[in-house]
Amino acid sequence: MPRLELPELVRGARQSGPLAVRCAGRLMSLVTDEPQRLAELLAMCREWPQPRLVLGLTGSPGSGKSTLTDRLVLEYRTRFPADKIGVIAVDPSSPFTGGALLGDRVRMMQHATDPQVFIRSLASRGRLGGLALGVKGVVRVMGLVGCRVVLIETVGVGQSEVEIAQHADLTAVVLAPGQGDGIQLLKAGLLEVGDLFVINKADRDGAAALQAQLLAMLQRVDLVRHDRSANGVTTQVCHDVTTGPESDPSHARLFLTSAREHLGIAELVDALEARTEVAQERWRTEREEQIEAELQSAVLAEIERRAICTLRTNAAVVERFDRLLGGAEPLAAVVDEVLRRTIGDATSSTK
Amino acid sequence: MFGPRKPRLLIAKPGLDGHDRGAKYVAQVLRDAGFEVIYTGIRRTPEQIVATAIQEDVAGIGLSLLSGAHLLLFRRVIELLHAQGADDIVVFGGGTIPPKDIPLLESLGVAAVFTPGTSAERIVERLDELLCVPA
Repeated sequence: MPRLELPELVRGARQSGPLAVRCAGRLMSLVTDEPQRLAELLAMCREWPQPRLVLGLTGSPGSGKSTLTDRLVLEYRTRFPADKIGVIAVDPSSPFTGGALLGDRVRMMQHATDPQVFIRSLASRGRLGGLALGVKGVVRVMGLVGCRVVLIETVGVGQSEVEIAQHADLTAVVLAPGQGDGIQLLKAGLLEVGDLFVINKADRDGAAALQAQLLAMLQRVDLVRHDRSANGVTTQVCHDVTTGPESDPSHARLFLTSAREHLGIAELVDALEARTEVAQERWRTEREEQIEAELQSAVLAEIERRAICTLRTNAAVVERFDRLLGGAEPLAAVVDEVLRRTIGDATSSTK
Repeated sequence: MFGPRKPRLLIAKPGLDGHDRGAKYVAQVLRDAGFEVIYTGIRRTPEQIVATAIQEDVAGIGLSLLSGAHLLLFRRVIELLHAQGADDIVVFGGGTIPPKDIPLLESLGVAAVFTPGTSAERIVERLDELLCVPA
C-alpha cells in the first residue's frame, strides 16, 4: 500500500473490502505513533459514526481480562450478528528497551478471520496509566468502520492505574479469587473507577468470599454517598448492589463469571445492554468532553518528547545539568534552560 | 521510550506443530531488541495470520515451523498478503527448514530464513536491515 495521508486513509477506511481494513489499521498506527496525527484525527472525527458502548476492562495480570474479552466478543456477535465489534488490547512496553510482547490476541484467535471483529493490540509506550497514547483515536477509527461496541482491555494493572475511566463509557474491574483480603478492597485507586465489578474465575475457591467482600465494599460506598447527600435522599442505599430489588439489570454492579467455562457472560451483556440503553446519549456528551483531555495529553506528550530530546542533546543544557549534579545550580535554572532551548530549537526548526 | 521506534512485527506459528519454543524465543529476542511483537500462539491458519497482520498494521510477519509444511504454508501466507494488497509486509521465518528449501522459499518472496543455530544478534541485525531500522 502506498503511503497515504490521513484524509485519504479516512476515505479508504469508509469503503468496504480488504483495503478498508488496511486503511483503518494504518490510521490506528498514525494516531498512536504521532500526537500531531492524533490531534488531526480528533478534530475531524466529530461527525463520524460512534460505538454505542465503549467498555473498559481492567484488573491485575492473569485475572482473565483477555479471555473475558474474547467471550464478550462471542456473546455480542451471537446476539447482534450484523454488527461489528472492536477490541483494543494494551500490553506493557519495556521501560528498558522500548520493546513489547503483545499477547492478548492469543486468547481471541477464534475471531481472527471474522470480518466483523477488529482487534488491535497496542503497547503502552511509556504511559503508566494502563493505556497507550492515542487510544481515543483508535476508538474513533473503530467507530468509523462501524463497530457497535468497543472493548478496551488495559495493561494488567495494580492499584492505581485509572486512566481507563477517561476513555471508556463504563469501566469493569475484573478480579479473581485469591488476590488478597477485604483490606485490599478498602484502598483508594483502581476500585474507585469501577462502574462494574466482575469476579472472574468464579468457579474457583474463594469466589464467594470475594463476592461478600465486594458487596461490603459497595455497600460502604453507597452508605458514604448517602451520608454525604445533604438533603438525605434515601434512594440507592444498600439493596441495588447485586441485581437489586427490582432486578433492574441497568443497576447491577457485581458479576460472577468464569470466562473459561462460558459462565455468567450472558448476564454481564444483559447488564451492559441495559446500561447502554439508558446512558448512551449522556456518554456521547462525555466523550466530547474527554477529547479535550486527550488533546491535552497529546500536547504534554509532545512537550515531554521535545524536552527529553533537549535534555539529552543540547550542549548548554547538558552543561547546566552537570552543574546541577555538582550542587552548583538550582533545579529551576535547569528547567528554565530546558524550556528555553526546547522552544528555541522548535522555532529554529520551523523556519 | 522516545526517539525512533522500531516497527511492529507479528510472530506466528502456522500449521499443526505445537513446538513453540523457537517462536517464543525469537519473540523475546525481538522484544528485547526494541520491537513491538504481536504473538498469536500455536496452530494458526494462514488466513488468521494474514487477517491479524493487516488489522495490526505490522511491518513484518515471522513464521515459525517445525512440521515440514513450510513450502505450502509460506506460499499460502504470501498469496493471501498479495490478494489483500499487502505485499509490502515483509515475510521472514525459521524453524527446521532444510537448506535446499531456502532458495525456494526466497523465490516465493520470503525475505529471510533463520534456521536453528542462528544467533539472536544475527536475527536482529538482519531484521533491522530488512525493515530499514535506523542504526
